[in-house]
Amino acid sequence: MEGKRTRIDIIGDMLSSIVGKGGQIKPTHLMYKSNMSHGQMKTYIDDLVGKELIKKVKKGNYDYVIMTDKGHEFLQKLREMKEFEKAFGL
Amino acid sequence: MVQVVFSPKWFWGKDIFIDSIALLVLLCIAIFATKYYRIKKSRNYLYLALSFYLIALSFFSKILINFTIYFQVLHTQMIGSIEYTQVILKSSEILAVSGLFFYRLFTLLGLFVLYSIYEKQSKANIILMIYFIIVSIFFSKEEYYIFYLTGFILLGIISNRYYQNYRKNKESTSGMLAASFSVIALSQIFFMFVNFTKHFYVVGEAIQLIGYIGLLAAFVTVLKHGREKNKNRYHR
Repeated sequence: MEGKRTRIDIIGDMLSSIVGKGGQIKPTHLMYKSNMSHGQMKTYIDDLVGKELIKKVKKGNYDYVIMTDKGHEFLQKLREMKEFEKAFGL
Repeated sequence: MVQVVFSPKWFWGKDIFIDSIALLVLLCIAIFATKYYRIKKSRNYLYLALSFYLIALSFFSKILINFTIYFQVLHTQMIGSIEYTQVILKSSEILAVSGLFFYRLFTLLGLFVLYSIYEKQSKANIILMIYFIIVSIFFSKEEYYIFYLTGFILLGIISNRYYQNYRKNKESTSGMLAASFSVIALSQIFFMFVNFTKHFYVVGEAIQLIGYIGLLAAFVTVLKHGREKNKNRYHR
């Protein structure tokens, strides 16, 4: 069984979920896909918006979370890091 | 006199080139580990970066010593019909001897830091190990093989650790890492016997080069896997 997720793991899961949905996702779906509570997700979304990794946009009646280019780059770094950890057994 | 030259004359410069490759590979890994540490703030990344920087620094010291000696202070003497290279350390003696000390110190400290990532140490153990490392370096002044033996033991343990990691996760990169460190450990055996014939130094350097190229290949594969686009999940 996997241990408790770190903050960076949660961010990785969130960004990965957005990419998995083609770069945009509804906040509710993001919450389920990333296994987070509502409060937790709100804090993380605000944080990631502040860091310009994601953007919040309104399309019709729905809110969407969209991945930015910076977010894509950061996710790639996280994936490299994950591979690095696995290889070195960190 | 402290022995500082282990290379046969025809190999001078070539060993500097091989050590420069090792230095670059080590610096690459250290820089990436530092970058990842900044993201994750995990101590393991910090120690990994530190260990690779220390070993890179040791190679830098070795390159500096060899460069100074090969191109500045070596003189060839003829005795009877046998030509041999005698090391005459003049004004550069202090530089060469202290350089050799730092080369050995940084190598063993770097390997110990790397080892400590996987075998957690108490503060008392760390102090004790640093003491033993310094003692082994002092003994290596007269009996140079002690340094390579200590390096071999540390590299052997680290290689075994990477092999265990490979058995657990079956990742090709872990296997490549285990193989690379095993090859680098093997090179230490050849360096131990340099006094029998200097050709062992050449073999040791060649094996070490293979090890570091393997390490580079493992590192590039890690980055390549990380950049694959078709991963839906961050966790696999």
